[in-house]
Formats: sequence, structure tokens, C-alpha cells
Amino acid sequence: MPPLDSKMKMCFVTTGATAPFTGLIESVLQPASIDALRKGGYTHLLIQYGSAKHVMDQHATIALQRMKEELGNEALVIDGFDFDQDSLKAQFKMVQQSNGLIISHAGSGSILETLRHQIPLIVVPNTELLDNHQEDLAKAMERSHYLIRGDVTNLAIAIQKSEKFRIQMAQFPPITSGQHRETKSFAAIMDETMGFLD
Amino acid sequence: MPPTLSSLDTWTFFLALFIIFLVASTLRLIAILPSRQFRNNPFRRQPAATRVFIVLGSGGHTHEMFYLLRDLDTRKYTHRTYVVSSGDAFSAQRAAEFEKGLEGRERERERESALGNRKIQSEAKGSIINGVEKKREREAARQNERPPCTGPDHYNITTLHRARAIHQSLLTTPFTSILTLLSSFGPLLAAPPLLPNAPPTTPYEAAAQDLPDLIITNGPATAVIVVLASLILKFFDIRGASSRGKCRTVYVESFARVTSLSLSGRLLVKVVDRFVVQWAELEGRGGRAEFWGVLV
Repeated sequence: MPPLDSKMKMCFVTTGATAPFTGLIESVLQPASIDALRKGGYTHLLIQYGSAKHVMDQHATIALQRMKEELGNEALVIDGFDFDQDSLKAQFKMVQQSNGLIISHAGSGSILETLRHQIPLIVVPNTELLDNHQEDLAKAMERSHYLIRGDVTNLAIAIQKSEKFRIQMAQFPPITSGQHRETKSFAAIMDETMGFLD
Repeated sequence: MPPTLSSLDTWTFFLALFIIFLVASTLRLIAILPSRQFRNNPFRRQPAATRVFIVLGSGGHTHEMFYLLRDLDTRKYTHRTYVVSSGDAFSAQRAAEFEKGLEGRERERERESALGNRKIQSEAKGSIINGVEKKREREAARQNERPPCTGPDHYNITTLHRARAIHQSLLTTPFTSILTLLSSFGPLLAAPPLLPNAPPTTPYEAAAQDLPDLIITNGPATAVIVVLASLILKFFDIRGASSRGKCRTVYVESFARVTSLSLSGRLLVKVVDRFVVQWAELEGRGGRAEFWGVLV
């Protein structure tokens, strides 16, 4: 992993552990996405590609080649890894410190982890999956201003939106979710069920 | 003259027997199934030790479960049993990490209170009477307070036969589900004793070797089977499962479920004691889904 310096700005892409979301890897390495990232001041692009190393290698090579030809020097460092035993905590920390961005599949685990780190998040639902409740979650979360919903066919637009979103994003977990209603923590629900009053 | 024994051998007799059985089991089911709205008895005295049965699932469910449990108070929930499916090493590892975290949190807390104690002692040097008073107060408070219950003696991880392996044919699923059901009774009835065949010596060990007070789950297939097993225990009041108010069940629908309940949720909505959802849109589903905000 690259060392952290003050000028670094990292975009981290997670594709899920079980079935890699190859469409997302391809999409983020498209010229339009790369240009949008460079325009946003990003210096590093880190991709967790799972078992799709061949997709990553193929598209990263093309992207680097293109940047080299057009710019002479590589303005954006592209790096990747397959899995991390330590549940991506180090990567989230690094993105948080570099004021970066996370582009993720719509798994609830990645969404929760990103929001708890207060990092702008673009969620790209995998339309190839059979059940569409991931799409429902992404839509509901976008409506509440927790994240931006992206699309594999045009990720650049979402990346452009993310800079403005950084200052608008809502706090998660919400202090009072829903208006004028009582909220409880799960610990309180457990105590209540057991009849514990303290 | 009384009827002969052979006269009982008629279909009407068996029909009557069957109807009696049906009525009796329906009445029993009505008795053990929860009411529409959750009501608790606020005057119940807090027992010294309790056991919680936590059903873990695959990656996503396990992940959310530990978010739900982040503020778990080991003073109240003194024994934890984590249930994982065979072959799910990830969930077992996460459970062990979570328990390590609880242990670390308590150690930190103890260190902080020790620092506080020393401060009081140094302050007390000026006025001895005041210091003695304060010390006595602290002593009394400590005796009243329940001790934290962390460490390997206070939790166990148990493995159940997997209900349905990935790519397993739907035809054989009922059979493997029955295996899962059968394998879930043992862990429900008791956690293994610390020493083989040793009777419990503390209230904590007694609670660990008893039925769980609370069963918590958030939706994996195993959860449906564990809840079914707990209903069977309540139906026959095995070890007082029903009469002592053991095996209360709480189901939390996944945060990822925004507009519709999951299959596990739909199966369990009528039978668990509490059914909690995390999106307002699902409130009132099945006539009883509760919404108290995002919990993860």
C-alpha cells in the first residue's frame, strides 16, 4: 500500500467477497471514470478485486497505457489486491484520512462500514444479481442522503457529484431516525424483552 | 353391560381421538404463541445470571449481528452461546473476536475506575474521616454492582449441521433441515459444562447449563430452525421452557430489507416474541413488526 502523504487523495473500490462484481471493476477503469477521478484531484485508485484478478489486470493495463500516452506521466496510481483478512479496516482508515471516496457494491456490510467512517460513498447495485433488494436498499439510502447511487454504464457522473455531496451528506447512524418518533437501541430492546429495568 | 374392547376399533373412535388431539394441540399452541403486541412484565426481578443464544448466519447476517450487539452488557447477559453453521469458519472467528473486544472493554473500564480510586484516596489524605466515608461508600457500591462476565468461561460457540449447502438440491433440503433441527436441541438445552460432568457451582454456571433466557436472530435459514426447536421445547414445556418464561425470541430483520420481508422474516413474523424491522416502511408487517429506528 502507498505511504500516506498530505497530497494523497484515494478512491477505494470494493467489489464484495463472495461473487466479484466484474462490471464495477471494468466501469471504474473506463477512460471517463479515470478522467473524472483525476479532475476531482485523486492521486490513488485502489481496487479490491476478489477473485477477478484477470479482469483487473487487463483493464488496469489499458487504463495506465492510455494515461501514459495522453499525459506523458501517470497522474493516477492504480493498485489492487484480492482479499484482506482484516475486513478492510486499514483501507477505510486511509481513505478517511485522505478525504477520499469509496465506490462499493450494494452489500450492506460495506455500506455500514463506509458510513460509520463518514466517507462519501457511491453505491453501484449489481443488476446481474437475482434478488433486487440491494437496489431497494441503495434507493432508500440515497433518498435519505446517506450515499450516491451509481450506475455501471455511467460512473463518471456519480464521481462528479461526489465532491458536492461530501459537504451535504447526512450523519449515520441517524441521531433520530424519522421525525417525531421514539427511537431505541438494540440493547434497550433486549432489556425490555427480558423485563430488565435499570 | 360395558362395551367390549373391540368396539373401540371403529373409525369414529379414531376420528374422535384425532379431533381431541387436534383441539388440545391448538389450545397449547395458542397458549405458547406470543400475543399480537409485545407486552413485558416490568416488575420481573433481574436474575443474577442469564444466558443468551445468538444465531449467526453467513457473512452479511453475522456482520449485522455484531453491530446490533455492540453495546452488550456482560453484567446482565452473563453467558453467550453463538451458533454457527458447519463450515462457516468466518462467523466463529468473528464471535471469538467480539468476545475479545468485550474483554478488552472491561479491562479498560477497570483501569479507569482504579485511577479514579487512587485520586479519591489522595484527596482523602487531607481529611481522614471524609476519606473513610467515601471509601466505605465505594465499597458498598461495588458490592451492589454486578461483576462483568467476560472471558472463555462466559461464552461458547456451537456448530449446527448446515440446513442447506450452496448448490444442494431442493429435494434433499427437508432431510438436512431435520438434521439441523435435531442437532439444535442439545445446544439449546445447555451449554457444555466447564469441566466434564461437573455440576454447576456458581449461578453463572447454572444459567449456562440451563435453557437460554433470550434467543436473538436476524434472518439466516438456521434461525428459522432454531426458533422452531424453541417452540417445540415450549410446546412440551421441556425443562420448564414455557412455565419459567425461558427461550424468549427476538428477530431483527436485516437492514438491507427496505420494502419487503425476507423469507425467514415472513416465516417467523407470527411466532417470535418480538419482530423488529429497521425501515419505517416495514412497520406493522404481519400485524406486529416494530420499528425503533436503524439499529445497526
